[in-house]
Amino acid sequence: MIAGFYGRLACLCLASFFLVHTAVGGVVLLFVPAALRRAKTMGARAAAGLLFSLRLLPFVVASFVVAGLCVPSYLSFEPRGGTEPLGAVCVIAAALGLLLWALAGTRVAAALASTIAFGRRLAKGGRELQISGQAAPVVIVDAQVPLLALSGVVRPTLFLSRGVFESLAPEELEAALRHEAAHRNSRDNLKRLALLLAPEIVPFARCFTALENNWARFGEWAADDEATRGDEQSALWLASALVRVARMGRGPKPELAFSLTACGCGLEARVERLLHNQSPRAEIRSGSDAARKNGLLVAGAVMTALLLMPGALAFVHELLERLIG
Amino acid sequence: MLQFFKGRQSDANAGAGRTALLGRLESAVMEILWDKGESRVQAVVDALDRGLAYTTVMTTLDRLFKKGLLDRTKQNRAFIYRAKLSRVEWERRRASDLVGGYLTGPGQSRELLLSCFLEAVGDHDARLLDEMEKEIRRKRRELSRRSAP
Repeated sequence: MIAGFYGRLACLCLASFFLVHTAVGGVVLLFVPAALRRAKTMGARAAAGLLFSLRLLPFVVASFVVAGLCVPSYLSFEPRGGTEPLGAVCVIAAALGLLLWALAGTRVAAALASTIAFGRRLAKGGRELQISGQAAPVVIVDAQVPLLALSGVVRPTLFLSRGVFESLAPEELEAALRHEAAHRNSRDNLKRLALLLAPEIVPFARCFTALENNWARFGEWAADDEATRGDEQSALWLASALVRVARMGRGPKPELAFSLTACGCGLEARVERLLHNQSPRAEIRSGSDAARKNGLLVAGAVMTALLLMPGALAFVHELLERLIG
Repeated sequence: MLQFFKGRQSDANAGAGRTALLGRLESAVMEILWDKGESRVQAVVDALDRGLAYTTVMTTLDRLFKKGLLDRTKQNRAFIYRAKLSRVEWERRRASDLVGGYLTGPGQSRELLLSCFLEAVGDHDARLLDEMEKEIRRKRRELSRRSAP
């Protein structure tokens, strides 16, 4: 296959992304059982953070390699003009890379479309209500369905059905709203969007289900912990709110939303955890924040060192030449 | 409900290519072979300990062989029998055939099976929620007792 300067660049970017992503994804898969064991010994928020980082690691590393190494080395060393044939390996890897991106893009587009439609439909028949202690207004929907969900990515909206509003005691409602506020504060819907955007290792395979499901579970636990802050009374109110809403049945929930009970994260385990006060008083967030900042600093330093290393880009270009065949 | 399942079991028995259900003696013989691994006819007769005739047990083993549940090899003019499937594999195949029978059957039986499943799951959920609610009430009483002066 013959391609021009920018055609070859696009092909190389996709092929490099696919190869690096697959290699790093394979290594991550090997560490999943150990990460899940480790997560069980950590606080819920830190565990969710660990699993989320691990899930995104192949995507981040592959993006860094493409944007930070492949593109600069190609632009620096590849002679402009003229055409060059592309080898079969490069074309196949690029096609698989393109397929991974297309599938991830489709997933994200479908999730965004259903979430926006869901929000519009509910907002049309709903009325905003400012509830004391809530940073943003809550949209009360005139329906009996069991609905208490935080929906949306950029400005998540909390939807509450009249059925839930009327059936929960004020203390239960307060605890449930604090739970959803915790999801909002930790930008869980945005994280869910990032997970949808992160491609699988190979097209049509679901390799990271264990990581994603456990991230959702620990995310719910973390929101429970932040809603109760180790207070036994609040934990009881939240537990009884969970049971009461679960008794009402399963409510509607789009992809990019967190609902009080409809996350499939094991209601029984959550109630058990709340009743036996297994949630820590206040997880030390500053510790995990510091670790995250340190991680970012190290990654930035590694990236700069690689870019500044004499001959690094030339070496990458040589690798690209081999890949191009 | 039980009658419905019993009816379907006999249908499954009659169906060609399906896993046959076992009679009491056949089940006992299979249990012995699963435990022992492989046995001659006389060893099965002894293990059964029911005073059954040698020929009765031999006929039963032969029937199980023809149903495809046993393998046999000839050694010194006598057969040695062994189970073709493990106990777990047999149970799995039986359950799968039973459920498969309903799902490929007429619409009415399919719907009935699904509604029975949903009912059972719903009952289980409701019971579970009742238990959780009870536990929450108990915990609340305990907490108020503790906080009372």
